[in-house]
Amino acid sequence: MNIICVVKIVPDVDSFAYDYENNTLIRENIRMILNPDDACALACALKVKAGRPDCSIEVVTMGPKAVKPHMEDLLRLDADRGTIISDPAYRGSDTYVTSRILARYLSTRQFDVLLTGSHALDGDTSHVPAQLGEELDLEQMSGITAVDFERFDSRRAVFEVEYESSVVTWEMALPAILSLDRESGYTLPYVKYEDFQRDVSGKLTIIGNPELGFEPGEVGSDGSLTEVVRTYTQRFETRERRIVRNDDAGIEDVFNFLLEKGFL
Amino acid sequence: MNSETILDEVQKLLTPEQVNTDREDLYDASADRYKKYAKARGVLDVPMPLAIVYPNSTDEVSRLLQFCNENRINVIPRAGKTATEGGLENWKEQTLVIDALNLNKIIKLDTYNMQATVQAGVALQDLEDELRKEGFTTGHSPQSKPVAKLGGLVATRSIGQLSTLYGGIEDMVVGLECVFPDGHISRIKNVSRRSGGPDIRHIAIGNEGTLCYITEVTVKCFKFYPENNRFFGYLVKDVESGIKVLREVMANGFRPSVARTYSEEDAAQHFYHFHKNKCVLLFMAEGPEGIVDATCRGIEAAAEKFKDGILEQVDSKYIEDWFNNLNWSQQDIDDEYEGMKEHDSHAGFTTEISADWETIPKIYNSVIRRIRDEYPRAHELTMLGGHSSHSYINGTNMYFVYNYDIHCAPEDEMRVYHHPLQKLIVEETLKFGGSMCHHHGIGKFRSEWTKDEHGSAYYMLAKLKEAFDPNGIMNFGTIFPQEEGRKYLS
Repeated sequence: MNIICVVKIVPDVDSFAYDYENNTLIRENIRMILNPDDACALACALKVKAGRPDCSIEVVTMGPKAVKPHMEDLLRLDADRGTIISDPAYRGSDTYVTSRILARYLSTRQFDVLLTGSHALDGDTSHVPAQLGEELDLEQMSGITAVDFERFDSRRAVFEVEYESSVVTWEMALPAILSLDRESGYTLPYVKYEDFQRDVSGKLTIIGNPELGFEPGEVGSDGSLTEVVRTYTQRFETRERRIVRNDDAGIEDVFNFLLEKGFL
Repeated sequence: MNSETILDEVQKLLTPEQVNTDREDLYDASADRYKKYAKARGVLDVPMPLAIVYPNSTDEVSRLLQFCNENRINVIPRAGKTATEGGLENWKEQTLVIDALNLNKIIKLDTYNMQATVQAGVALQDLEDELRKEGFTTGHSPQSKPVAKLGGLVATRSIGQLSTLYGGIEDMVVGLECVFPDGHISRIKNVSRRSGGPDIRHIAIGNEGTLCYITEVTVKCFKFYPENNRFFGYLVKDVESGIKVLREVMANGFRPSVARTYSEEDAAQHFYHFHKNKCVLLFMAEGPEGIVDATCRGIEAAAEKFKDGILEQVDSKYIEDWFNNLNWSQQDIDDEYEGMKEHDSHAGFTTEISADWETIPKIYNSVIRRIRDEYPRAHELTMLGGHSSHSYINGTNMYFVYNYDIHCAPEDEMRVYHHPLQKLIVEETLKFGGSMCHHHGIGKFRSEWTKDEHGSAYYMLAKLKEAFDPNGIMNFGTIFPQEEGRKYLS
């Protein structure tokens, strides 16, 4: 069984600090991380692979070459192959163009299922998985919160999707695109200490436009159908800070506060 | 001798009830709080001891040690189980943990001669409670007081939070009884002072179970004057400014029971209600009224002399509240253990060093700089700082404190986080001429630097080991570096 995980390395927005005086996000020294939903997708793939020697996993990402150390760490887990799609010409591509680029590469690969995350921390439009489905002519399902590993093979997958008032179990014919939600709780193992420096260069391929062959006007901002008109930081206000003692008056104070805010 | 035979023989030496082979208890006895996270996650990489045995008397300890010595069985002496540096971790396939559980008698409270004699397995809190009933105190108050036991405290050269007034355990021990691997029982008598050759108490104090098994100790006791306690707190510009005030107080001959300076980061986690992201300097004065008054005047004069470094004085009630909630109970330890089963984090780690007054700030600044510059996971530290908490006429200690969320496999945590951080701290401390181990002992994971710590005086330490434990059965890997144990270090 061949699984391809399409993932994205994103800024860890949770670590952004907020400058209340200037209403800006402090972006210095922000770390890049594997998008949490995508991490669930890869963790799910590793669970499928566990105990199945015929199963192989390829991790595919699009981004700058700086994501290489992150991809190397994923290969130090149990992924078999990694591909970084990186080309200066792709800079500024919107989700539509990104999907086309990824799809062109994926159409050259043999796979039984594509696993992705449902949402991304940075943009969160959730366009790419569905657009990949359109480009590759595959069914796609988002928001998967649990996979039935007993009923997951190269022909079909059984999984759950959580909706507002119900949980629905789906069975889907493969190949298809399954997009995991972080609520699934599938977590990636950590790289073992002995593997920290393990050379995985033989498993990692970097390809660009020479391999994929897009015309200049088809990719980057020129090829994009959408553009970002404006970004702005949501305005936050400093909250009043009150310190109470651990005594009856303090407990009363906290109780009244929670009551006033509607928590009780 | 195979393991089964060893257990049979030990049961004959004692009774079956005194030999514990419960799997869960043996797993727990495999390591101490150094590998607390790996232990909680069930991934310890060391062998389990064969049994935990509970002698009822000094004679039984003697017979056990003789048996282990003759049969080359490793022994880990244990009393209290609050070790943090791997001193209770097991590195041998054939090991007996000798626990002082049943050596639990308070033998004599002699308040006229101001001393108390207890067996090794008496909890410090129990002794303290008994003394308090009569208006006395041990003066010893480590954070582990509710759990720690006298045998362990003496064996690890423990120190308490009131040490600036009362001293470390080495200043409190009057006499003791201990058993050597050949079964010999030594009793060091209780006298006020003597010049009878080298002070042989110090062969047992701090031996960390590598030379002998301590069965009984006599410690000093002191009159207790809680009604006179006074507290002081200040926000200060930086660590150096706080240390200058500490030095001034000490050098002028005052002995507050608590005298501390916290870095901004460490202060933030202890004093959330008033720290204002500044360093914190604090004192506690205790004792007879006249001495407390004089100590308070000494503290105030020192603060006045170095007022340029003091930003503001804080309400002394805050300091008193903090002090009254400082100790770790067994419940706290258990809660942290349970929490580690579910969360990739714990309450953090520390490394405690000491040096003279002028060197301490240099070590502190150098360590912090090196960690920030050289430690590859510095960005994963959620807290890095320290505090000076035990001062002397010629210097003080520095307690480096670091917290982090754990982003590695549980079995790799120490190699990825704590050990490389500890290595940087130890290297800088030794480079500047300080001591790498102020009060937690060397344990197993600082044994790789024991020779550097002692330099040419390591000769004396090595000779003690050769003389008292020629077969090397006492707590293998602790204090004394062992080639065979290196696999557990890397």
